[in-house]
Amino acid sequence: MAEQTTLNEELLELPETDEATTVERCLTFKSGDLILYISTRHVIEIINNYSITNLPLVPPYIKGIINLRGQVLPVVDIQMRMGKSEAECGNETCIIVLDIDSVSLGIIVDSVRQVIDIDLKNVRPIPLKRQQKLLDGMVTMEDGSVFMSVDCQALAKAQY
Amino acid sequence: MDNGMEGMLDTYLFETNSLLDQLDEMLVKDEKIGDFSSDDVNEIFRIMHTIKGSSAMMEFGPLASIAHHIEDLFFYIRDKGIDSLDPEHKKELFNLMFRSEDSLRSQVEKVENGEALDTDMDSFASEINQFLKKISGAASDEPEAAAPDAGGAQGAAPDSLTAAGNLPADDTAVCYLHIFLDEGIGMENLRAFMIINSMKECEVDFNYYPPDMDTNPETCASIIEEGFYLAFADGEMAAKAEDLLKSQGHIRSYELIMVPEPEPAPEAPRASESAPAHAAAAPAPERKEAPQKAAPAGAPVKQNLISVNLTKLNDLMDIVGEIVITESMVTSCPELDQLNRDSYDNFMKSARQLRKLTDDLQDLAMSLRMVPISGVFQKMNRIVRDMKQKLGKDVRLTLIGEDTEVDKTIVDSIQDPIMHMVRNSMDHGIEDTADERIAAGKNPQGEIVLSATHTSNEVIISIADDGKGMNPDKLLAKAKEKGILVKPENEYTKKEALGLIMLPGFSTNQEVTEFSGRGVGMDVVKKNVESVGGVVSLTSEEGQGTTFSIKIPLTLSIMDGMKVTVGRSIFTIPIANIRQSFKITADEIIYDENGNEMVERIGGFYPIVRLHQFYSIETEVLQPEDGILIWVETSDHSFCLFVDDLIGEQQVVVKPFPAFLNCFELKNYGIGGCTILGDGNISIILDIPSLHTATLEGF
Repeated sequence: MAEQTTLNEELLELPETDEATTVERCLTFKSGDLILYISTRHVIEIINNYSITNLPLVPPYIKGIINLRGQVLPVVDIQMRMGKSEAECGNETCIIVLDIDSVSLGIIVDSVRQVIDIDLKNVRPIPLKRQQKLLDGMVTMEDGSVFMSVDCQALAKAQY
Repeated sequence: MDNGMEGMLDTYLFETNSLLDQLDEMLVKDEKIGDFSSDDVNEIFRIMHTIKGSSAMMEFGPLASIAHHIEDLFFYIRDKGIDSLDPEHKKELFNLMFRSEDSLRSQVEKVENGEALDTDMDSFASEINQFLKKISGAASDEPEAAAPDAGGAQGAAPDSLTAAGNLPADDTAVCYLHIFLDEGIGMENLRAFMIINSMKECEVDFNYYPPDMDTNPETCASIIEEGFYLAFADGEMAAKAEDLLKSQGHIRSYELIMVPEPEPAPEAPRASESAPAHAAAAPAPERKEAPQKAAPAGAPVKQNLISVNLTKLNDLMDIVGEIVITESMVTSCPELDQLNRDSYDNFMKSARQLRKLTDDLQDLAMSLRMVPISGVFQKMNRIVRDMKQKLGKDVRLTLIGEDTEVDKTIVDSIQDPIMHMVRNSMDHGIEDTADERIAAGKNPQGEIVLSATHTSNEVIISIADDGKGMNPDKLLAKAKEKGILVKPENEYTKKEALGLIMLPGFSTNQEVTEFSGRGVGMDVVKKNVESVGGVVSLTSEEGQGTTFSIKIPLTLSIMDGMKVTVGRSIFTIPIANIRQSFKITADEIIYDENGNEMVERIGGFYPIVRLHQFYSIETEVLQPEDGILIWVETSDHSFCLFVDDLIGEQQVVVKPFPAFLNCFELKNYGIGGCTILGDGNISIILDIPSLHTATLEGF
């Protein structure tokens, strides 16, 4: 069975963020050449060591379904979802389990980095708007690196 | 509506519906005997009382009002004894009760659907009241002490008093409290007595008039019209009582009257506290009020039953399924081989113990969802009864195997089909007149037998009538007229001809009746039954009768499946659909003009569906010799699936696909769900009917 790192417990200990502030805790991860982030509100847990059951008749970006402690979970390759080639399977490849408005799914990412605070005020829209399938914002960090925000709503909607 | 309210509503609906079911069962049973037993009278009284209370609490006024009137009626009957009614009245009472039940049900249904309730219940209520008057009038040849002032006029009233009219004589009394109850609350005498009792409990000492109000229901009328009196020996007590009165319900007004003094109490407080008729408060006091013989709510039989939310049971099932799988993961863990022999033996011993326990747990959890089918069957009694009256046919319904247990979801979904078939049998099956039956040499009384039996994993429900049966030729002619024949008339076998009645748009009755014949009959039945994985079949002999049988799996969530491999995927095929599996060679395959493959088996030709092709799965098994054919069938179709290999049979827990995948409509492509195998992997469950539609129809 998969080893699990449950983020939930960690999250519970976090100080309550003030409503007025626009800072949000986000999980950053690497997918292909991009560094993406997603709000920890949606993240349930991170698992590695899994076996995916392929599904027939679905678009290739849906890798299949996994058994997460009895719950059947669809797994999406977000690289393919963004129209790129299939994610390569490496040592650090893992699945982030998300719950987006009670739609549960897992996404395959190359590696998970860390949980950081991102001030939503600093998030800029991506200039090439119409070409984005899955990303809806970008933010520059202090060290000059650029993180992209994953559009959860788009992700939660399966389509051909 | 907030959650708490919704929870209450759920409970209310559940409770009310089960009470109505109970009522129905009782009425049907009693009507057969033509009499109510006194236990049943008490029971009906209790049921109405509970419905009234809870409806009032939920503020469903019309429901509370009907229940209230019936309660009054039965209070009277209970009091007089059921034997005081003559047979004519009893018959009327039965009809009235059935109609009351229906009107209660229709209201409850409206509550369920969130519709507004009928506000005008007065006509029905007055009907009940009239009946009550009628039977009480009939019984009035008994010594009628119901003169309006039976109690109130005892003794001469001091004439100096005006407002109160006739005060009861009480030598010791210095003052009286004259109390009027709310109008139309019913059972006024007992309510008054209750008030008196509760005041006496508070150590107030007084006499009351009429003195026989607790035992003599005739005093009711006088209390309504004249109110009742409390007589106090000193003014202090009276004042105390007055305070207490304020906390009592159902009091419209009261008045303090001083006796000896010519000048009455200055401005007797013309009661402002017309205590709001908090019907919610009603149940509690009333229970006290009728302690004599009404079995209090919660008869001992009920106490070992609890009602549980179905989702909780489903969750339990899920977790149990988990445990079973996890257990097999633990016991088949490869690291176990590294244990030394002794520890390994010990481990296996404990593991076996664990397995036994988990098996027991699984059986138990599954049995929790099983409910006896009797609830559905009992309802048919009522339908037969109603139709008997309307159609003027004499039919007896025999129930067999009512205690057969079936999964709750299935019970819910087969109720309508069964009802429809019973109606059909009543309406079309049984001969129209007894003479016809006698002429055919049958018992003038028709019979419908409703039976349920178990096999290891199926329930078979059959509805058999001994009526006129069906004539295949007539069915064919009719179908032809409707234009629903798909091949020449003379090619239909008898079985196929009978099967015609299950096609949409087929109804043999010339005119539409209230009960059946809308042309949406059997095809709906068939669809409903198939939606829970069942099959409908029928046999009919002309002149002998017709038998419908429904075969349904015992439970939906667990089924027997055959695991097969295609490439790296594992599919599960429901055993119920599998007829045979066999190997063939390439030259046994027959091709049609489009190159579609077929195979001959036991005198028939069946198409072959290659699963790897349909699902585009890579596999090395392409030659017919290497793989295996599985002959599957549904109620309508039969075909063969070509797969790589058989793995074996297993009981599997069916899980639906995650909602995320809904937009791909996998269900339309033969994928019915999935299941988690013992090793933690997932297997896809094939849905044979939709697989047939997707692969072989529409070419």
